[in-house]
Amino acid sequence: MRVQLNTMQNRTRTPARSILAAALALPGLLPGTSQAQVTAPNATLVQFKFLYYKDYQQSGDRMTIKSPALYLLTPIVDDWVFEIGAVYDSISGASPYYHTTLSGASGKGIQDGRTAADVTFTKYFANRTSVAVRAAYSNENDYKSIAGGVTIRHATPDQNTTFTLGGGYSGDQVFPEVGTPQTYYKRTYDAIVGVSQVITPNDTAQLNFYHAYQSGYLTDPYKAYYGVDNRPTTRSQNALLARWNHYFDWADATLRTSYRYYHDDWEVSANTLTLDWAQTLPGGWVLTPGLRYTAQSAAFFYFDPVYDPLLGAPFPPGYLLNPTAFYSEDQRLSAFGAITAGLKVSKAFAGGWIIDGKAEYYEQRGDWRIGGDGSPGLETFKAQIYQVGVTRKF
Amino acid sequence: MKRVLLVVAACVLVTACESMPKVQPWQKGNLAKPEMAFDPDTLEARFADHTYFSKEAASGGAGVGGGGCGCN
Repeated sequence: MRVQLNTMQNRTRTPARSILAAALALPGLLPGTSQAQVTAPNATLVQFKFLYYKDYQQSGDRMTIKSPALYLLTPIVDDWVFEIGAVYDSISGASPYYHTTLSGASGKGIQDGRTAADVTFTKYFANRTSVAVRAAYSNENDYKSIAGGVTIRHATPDQNTTFTLGGGYSGDQVFPEVGTPQTYYKRTYDAIVGVSQVITPNDTAQLNFYHAYQSGYLTDPYKAYYGVDNRPTTRSQNALLARWNHYFDWADATLRTSYRYYHDDWEVSANTLTLDWAQTLPGGWVLTPGLRYTAQSAAFFYFDPVYDPLLGAPFPPGYLLNPTAFYSEDQRLSAFGAITAGLKVSKAFAGGWIIDGKAEYYEQRGDWRIGGDGSPGLETFKAQIYQVGVTRKF
Repeated sequence: MKRVLLVVAACVLVTACESMPKVQPWQKGNLAKPEMAFDPDTLEARFADHTYFSKEAASGGAGVGGGGCGCN
């Protein structure tokens, strides 16, 4: 290959960089594949990351989560690729009883661990088609999930367009540690249809339509026990995700953008926009500042922190007249806007090593919602997220 | 109605892309850069999905069969 490169360089005087890039773009040689292609990766990737997450509000700290995670992708025989991921979440802190009223004062704090793992086998076929089969498992003291999915990808002969079709299932069990010991069940079916398209040598875009249908116990058992929470037993979710990446030659930088429109039959609508600027710098450094904004409407059964004049908190007005109606005091189902600002730094070393670190700040407020009113009366929710990682490709 | 619009939008997008000059294999050097991937860092993308899944009502769009957790 090197001989060929030199010859071409001498003959055409094309800058070495673009020839190298062209050589890298040949199937089977690339460290990463062009985004709309379906080509079996021929390198192994091992990644370890550690996440530290803490969230808080004015009246106190909420959850702290520490998560070591591992991921491995490796080609095995005959165009088969194997992936495995594992994560352990160590969770501690306090969760609100209702709205933003913390459980810490009178109740016990939360201490939990979550272990999750997943494996994926992908077979690449000669006609630019791949079939990936995934199985996932997640286990907590009070929650267990077994999930799986199949994703088929097919690229056109020019490898400029890729179609994606996938279906998945998750069977979940909830065993709340409050009230009468009981197991509740929850099922999720989901599907994805998507197309990725190379548009120019510097532009690639993707459009995915996602649908999920959940049924079973969708209530938060702790908020139901300490507060008032009773949710419908089905939920139909739709999302349209559009992503566009552009490479700027003059800056040697990539702008990654994404927009998601989400709607479900709990009447939650959300618009989410993300922007990441990946700036390549000399010496193997990549600096990636990122911004994310999301705004959502409230679920139809979410009620503001205005309580029944007779019963007081946490009961909604008129609760006695209709105690079996749908209610929730969960901030996550309220109307709000949220901003994330982050910075990632990564450095590549010889031998395929990459070390990276990322810091993010997240803030969620009722009055940050664009396109409608936010839910009143809730404390601002804030989070700090830090992660460090080491990756090796070989 | 929304679904019809989606299908129409997808068709328009595909047709528009079909009529554009094709990007040739030797022009894909920039596209092959790791930064040009939609999810260039697997674990980072997973952490982000998990965080937002547990703190917001909206989720999904990038893949299937993710499985649930008690965080939501």
